[in-house]
This record gives sequence, C-alpha cells and structure tokens, in this order.
Amino acid sequence: MKVALGKLAHGRSGDKGDMVNIALIAHRPEWMELLSDAVTPKVLEQWFEGWTEGPFKVFEVPGVGAINCLIHNVLQGGGTVSKRLDSQGKALGQVVLEAEVEIDAKRAAELGFHL
Amino acid sequence: MGRPDNGVRIGGAGGFWGDITLAPLEMLKTTELDYLTMDYLSEVTMSIMHKQLDRNPSAGWATDLEVWLRAGGMELLKEKKVKLVTNAGGANTDACVSRVLKAASAIGWTDCKVATISGDCIGSKLSALAGTGEPFIHMFDHKLGSLLDHEETIVSANAYLGASGIARALEQGADIVITGRVADASLIVGSMAHSCGWAANGSELELNAPLADWAPPNIKNPYDVLAGWTLAGHLIECGAQVSGGNSSDWKEIPQLAELTYPLAIIESDGTCVITRAPGEGGRITRRTVAEQMLYEIGDPTSYHTPDVTLDLSQATLVETKLDHVRVEGARGRSPPASLKVSACHRDGWMSSGSLMVPGPNAQEKAEMLDNTMRGRLNHLSDIQIETEFLGSQALTPPGLRKDISPSEVMVRWTISSPQRAQLTHFARSIAPLVLTGPAGVAGYGARPRPREVLRFFPTSIRRVLVEPQVRIEHHQTWRHDLEERMPWLEDKVLARLEMISKFDNHPYWSKLASRMLDRLDESKVVKP
Repeated sequence: MKVALGKLAHGRSGDKGDMVNIALIAHRPEWMELLSDAVTPKVLEQWFEGWTEGPFKVFEVPGVGAINCLIHNVLQGGGTVSKRLDSQGKALGQVVLEAEVEIDAKRAAELGFHL
Repeated sequence: MGRPDNGVRIGGAGGFWGDITLAPLEMLKTTELDYLTMDYLSEVTMSIMHKQLDRNPSAGWATDLEVWLRAGGMELLKEKKVKLVTNAGGANTDACVSRVLKAASAIGWTDCKVATISGDCIGSKLSALAGTGEPFIHMFDHKLGSLLDHEETIVSANAYLGASGIARALEQGADIVITGRVADASLIVGSMAHSCGWAANGSELELNAPLADWAPPNIKNPYDVLAGWTLAGHLIECGAQVSGGNSSDWKEIPQLAELTYPLAIIESDGTCVITRAPGEGGRITRRTVAEQMLYEIGDPTSYHTPDVTLDLSQATLVETKLDHVRVEGARGRSPPASLKVSACHRDGWMSSGSLMVPGPNAQEKAEMLDNTMRGRLNHLSDIQIETEFLGSQALTPPGLRKDISPSEVMVRWTISSPQRAQLTHFARSIAPLVLTGPAGVAGYGARPRPREVLRFFPTSIRRVLVEPQVRIEHHQTWRHDLEERMPWLEDKVLARLEMISKFDNHPYWSKLASRMLDRLDESKVVKP
C-alpha cells in the first residue's frame, strides 16, 4: 500500500562536501524494516533524477530504528558552489516526508502500523 | 578540574558562526558547567574566513566570540571557573587570541591563560608536503584529481586536528583554549581527556600519537570511551539543533523564541546524558536527539574523527526524565591513518537575483520571465544560469514534484562565470524586467554584486606529517611579574614607592612614584 513517508518517520538532512544525508527515524523503532523496504537506493534514484545520478546508499541504524540515506554528487559540487537556494540540502529532510512510498500492508499491520 | 564521578558538564552554546551571538552568555548565567564549548566552524565557514583573511590580516576568525566575551561572558567564565574551549580561531588563531587576551585584561583578569592550538594550516606547505609523496587526492571522488592541480588558486588547506592539543593545553592550566580547524567533537573529547586523567597520563606522549594511547591503564576499551565522548560531542556541537531547533516536532517545542542550548553530562566511561540549560524554551526528547545523532553522518558504523572511528549504529537513546536523554552503546575503533584536509580554491564568480511574479497563471508567467532573461543574456559566453521557481516546489527534488499551480512564484536566477564582468550584464538585466517582462512583476532591489566562488576540496594527509602545536600565554602586570621573579624585592620596593607617592610636599617625587606604580599595573603579554 502507498503511505506518506511522514507517517512512518521523521527526518533531518545535512551536507558533507557534495553529498547530502537524509536521516529517516521511524516513529516506532520496529518500523525500521518498513523504511528499509520503502526507501531503497533505487527509489532515491527516482526521486533525485535530474539532480544527480548518484551513487545512492542506504544504511540501517538499528539502535534508534532509523535509516540513513546518502545522496552523492547532489549539490552541484558542494555548498559553496551550488547555485540552488538550498545549497546545503537543509530542506530535503522535510521535503521527502511528503513522498508517497510503497510498503507491505500485511507486514505493516504485524508491526502495528495502521493508516 | 571536572568531576568525572558525577559526570563532566559540558555546554554547547553555538552551532556555527552566525548562530545566536549571546547564547553562550545566557548559558553561562543559568547553567552549572565545567566547560563551555563553542563550535563556530563548518566546511563553508572556513572558506569564508580565508576570504576575509585575504582582505584583512586581523580578520578570518569568529568575531562573535569577542562580542559575548565583552558583554559579560569573560566575567562569568572567571567567576564560575568555567573553561572555554572553542574553534573560533578559524583561519587566524593569532588574531583571535590577541583579542581574547585583551578582553581578559579589560576586566582585570590579567593571569587568564589562553592557549592556542595550531598546526592545522598546511596551505603554505603544500609543495613541501607533496615532496614527501602525499598525493592530496580528492577524498570522495578520485576523478576530481588532486588538490595540487589547483595550486595556483588555492586559498587555504587545513588539516582536521584531534583532541590531543586541547587536552594538553587544559592539563597545562589553560583557562581558555582557542583552536583553528579541530574536528568539531574533539572540542568535547579534549575536555573529557583532561577531566578524566588521560591528559595527565599522556603528558609525555607526542601530540600526533593516537589519543587512545593516552588512556590510563585501568581503561579497558579506550576506543569505546573515545567513541562515547565523540558521540556526546557530536550531539551538542550544533547547539540548539538537539534541544528543539530544526526539529520535525517543531509544533510541540515550547517557546522557540527563547530556545535554550544543550549540555552533555558525560561520564568517564563514555556514556552521557543530553539535557539543556534551564528555561522555558526548547525540549529534548529521544526524537530530537536521534535527529541530531544522524545529522551530517555518512556510514553510521564508521564516523571518522582524528581521535576515533565511531560506530553509532547500535547507540541507544532513553528518556530518563523531562529534557534528559541517556545515550549509551557507542562503539569505537582506531581512527584512519590519515587526517581529513579541508581545502578551497578560487573558482570564478557568482551572482543571484530574484523577482516576484503574481497570478493568474503565475507559473506560466514565471517561465516567460525566465525565457526573457535568458534571451537577453544569450550573447554572453562562459556563463551558467540556474533558474529556480521558489514557491513552486523549488526545494523538492524533481522526482517528488506534484502537479500543482502556485498562486505566486519567485523567480531566482543564479549565474556563474569565470569572468566577473559577465555578471555585470546579468545584474543590469533584472530591474528592467519589471517594465519589459510579463505583467505584474514586482520586488526588484539593488543590482546584485558578484561574489567570488571558493570551491571546497576535501582531501587527506598522513597523520605523521601534521604537528599540532600548543602555546599558552597570558596578560600579566609588571607588578605580578616582579612578585613572581623577586618576591624579596617586591615588598620593599612597592612599600617604598607607595610611601613616596603620598609625599604631599614633594610633588615631583610623588608624581614619579605613582607613575611607576601605574606602569607596574599595566599589562603585558607573556609567552612562555
């Protein structure tokens, strides 16, 4: 089923050189696996098509039940040379919460996630 | 110094140069602290500071520091015996330290010991270092070549130093530690290494020896301890970003207007509690701490600092009471053999300008406005134009944009060129669009001035090639100096001078004596 990412997680983004990280922290730690399934490097590639060709990586952070998404080469060379208003990708952690993502309805229900 | 048994209390009252200037002052007033740490640097800040230093030899450091020190901060540090550890020195530690010494002297704190940690600046030595075989290849993308390819246009290159210099300076009695490019979390790690006896134990070791070697013999897993301290440091080094600022829970955070800043109460074993200064504003929850924990993180199992490689993937956060989150479970490994270097080089010019477009059909009008602008610039070669339609999902990556029609759009252009003069044509083409573009265009201002672009170039350098240096100095009165060097003389001489200065019937001698006393009370800088 489709669900707004913000129903599953809250987020924050930051920059390092020409890379942005978007941390997505599950509202309940056990939902981390739903996040991992929903936001894959492939999905990130679709979101950022036109801004970067990646690479894209996703890491799990089991201690707090989060995933950390890395988007490389997305700041036109980095914060000091980017021509975009959001030259450091600060807004991305919020913007992506509006994305509709696909999750497994049965597994979501088992983990106590209901729309 | 410090109370490792009850946790060392370390405040973080700033996240970058440009954060609330007087926040550290507020924190000092309200909060019991052992150390106040102030992180003023970011990748971008270092570039800005080097540009400033280029224009003015006494600039290039975080001048906000002096503002709050002079507004009462220095008195509070002295009265409350709080040590200040900050990277405010930026690109010009000497200028920063000289102003700090003056601020201390101005309140009569003439024996305030100010330490300078330097050695991070390798820009002037690049060719010599390259001669040792250091390739200075781009850290993230080998295709981008070597820093040495840009030798002609390099503005700065700074190696990230670790915590050892800070720990050593505190061990030698520094009241204030001013650093250049030190890893952000190392401000906190250095303070802990001093408080927990590592600096004393490692007092004979080289400053570029791994900090883990400094650990007292009873510490079984020094890298886990360093990992915990580094995580604590990472959590407070961005100031209020952990105490309610920039939080997804922005609706629930009380009183953002009076947001308070965080402190970490850190144990000698590497665990900590994150809390905040007393006051109405702000909130610390598992959620605010988790967001900050993953801020600017790459692989969560391998966060590299000069002190340790931190694995925070298994770290846990538990709310113990309101505004208190306990952090445990950080794991550490040895740090990389090389230190990160943040460098930047000149790369042309850039300029931005914007105009506002109303509805009806705002998006369509905005696109026509953009086409008109581009048409008027198409005789220029060597320029790149980026157009953003603000209010029309400009912050959203292309694949996530929805089909909406905004009622108003701000058109923002940013133009770059290797030649400054090309940007002048752009600056002169903005305002005319109000009369010569589609209907209702508003909001023009002064012609934007081109700014020079500095391209950030991260690379690395072998640890052995970088030598951190510690220097401690203080303002002192000549009288104090005399007391220290010749105590037997001081009593006699001062007593006699004071007597003579009161000779009413010998105006010449009394004047001379009081002038000498004045001179003895004047300050000088002592550099051991």
